[in-house]
Amino acid sequence: MTGFRYGVSLYSYTDDFGTVMTLDDAFDHVADTGSTGIEILGETSVPLYPEPPAAWLDHWFAQLDRYKLEPTNFACWVDTRIQIDRNMTVEEGAAQIAQDLRLAHKLGFKFIRPKFGVSDRELTPDPIWEGAVERSLDLAHQLDLVILPEIHAPTPIRHPVTDAYVKFIERTGTKNFGLMIDTGIFQDRPLDAWGGGDFESIKKGAPEMVYGTKVPVEHLADVIQYVPFIQAKFHNIDENLHDHQIPWERIVPMFKTLGYAGYLSSEYEGKRDPWVAIEQVRRQHALIRKLEEEFDAAILETANA
Amino acid sequence: MLERSHIQSTGFRNVGPEGARTGFEVRIRQANYRSSRLSLIEGVDITVDGVLYPADGNLFRLGDREYTREELNQATQTRLYVGDHFTVVVPKEGGLTRGVHLIGSAIRYRHPYFPPEFQPAIVRNERHATIIIP
Repeated sequence: MTGFRYGVSLYSYTDDFGTVMTLDDAFDHVADTGSTGIEILGETSVPLYPEPPAAWLDHWFAQLDRYKLEPTNFACWVDTRIQIDRNMTVEEGAAQIAQDLRLAHKLGFKFIRPKFGVSDRELTPDPIWEGAVERSLDLAHQLDLVILPEIHAPTPIRHPVTDAYVKFIERTGTKNFGLMIDTGIFQDRPLDAWGGGDFESIKKGAPEMVYGTKVPVEHLADVIQYVPFIQAKFHNIDENLHDHQIPWERIVPMFKTLGYAGYLSSEYEGKRDPWVAIEQVRRQHALIRKLEEEFDAAILETANA
Repeated sequence: MLERSHIQSTGFRNVGPEGARTGFEVRIRQANYRSSRLSLIEGVDITVDGVLYPADGNLFRLGDREYTREELNQATQTRLYVGDHFTVVVPKEGGLTRGVHLIGSAIRYRHPYFPPEFQPAIVRNERHATIIIP
């Protein structure tokens, strides 16, 4: 029976990283969850990005080896509105993607997630995305990397943003571009804290982010063939392993039914008090592993009946 | 490592010659979860004991280099890394008095992946900090 692969994104440790946590600490926390994959944020985790010192590269590979972790996704950004009075050109966007593909490859990653600038509150990406990505497909192919924009709240699956990415895949026939699902799109109960910025201002400015995008998990079937990686976004799991916003009891069986066997890479985005993220990530792994085992046991039972 | 608050205790001091201070400066950690090209930082407002010193009049220092707001906008390839800090230099004749002050900072980040109406995103912090030498 195929199973999920478990990983952690270092985004989870935002604010701890650089104040109470080093990269070495993070390796220890990630590995101890039983994960096999580590996801980083290029500009955050790599010192002197985009040109880390040689000694750091040696240490990176030594740590991967020591903790038996494989690099999964390398998060990066295409800052389209690069100056207050000027947007990036297609050429600049392609150069940014090429730079991240090369660095991600050097560090052993399989995926990059470029986050493009957007032009509206439905997160429609800057129109340069298509030309910039198309120019990067050959390099991604050479380096054996897949470029993954994320489907992120408040953009649902059934939406022109997702449709445009799928159309691109169908038009080019590429295997080096796909979709990343951020499980925040399934949020169906309100946030009580937000780890992505100031809670009060998001409450006022973007209430849809507080109350949830509430995408039905059945919609995953539309796109799952294009999804090789999932960011397991969550905000608060209590001591009874109850998630207050994300309906894992519906999400996990749907991923299993659809045969998803890639990574679930934890992305904690809740309260940012020191060290809270470490425990929250562990709870999420306990919860998802429990649901996965229950699903597998039920299938076995049916098969044996 | 840095203090958890954005505003750091260390680095809060008067500038200019003793007896003829020209201003003061505040050290602030990178408050974003990723590095920022300096061109994505639209300046930093500072308040001291309720008095506002708007971003336009302040200088931004990273390492040894000082930037005006326009110079920040040009610095597309220079990054403020996570785990690093910068300094805001605020002109104020006479500087600040010895003692504890209530300091506020408001960093204006432009996040291109946020909808246009949320730009710049203003990230605030407030705490007490101490001037030792007037």
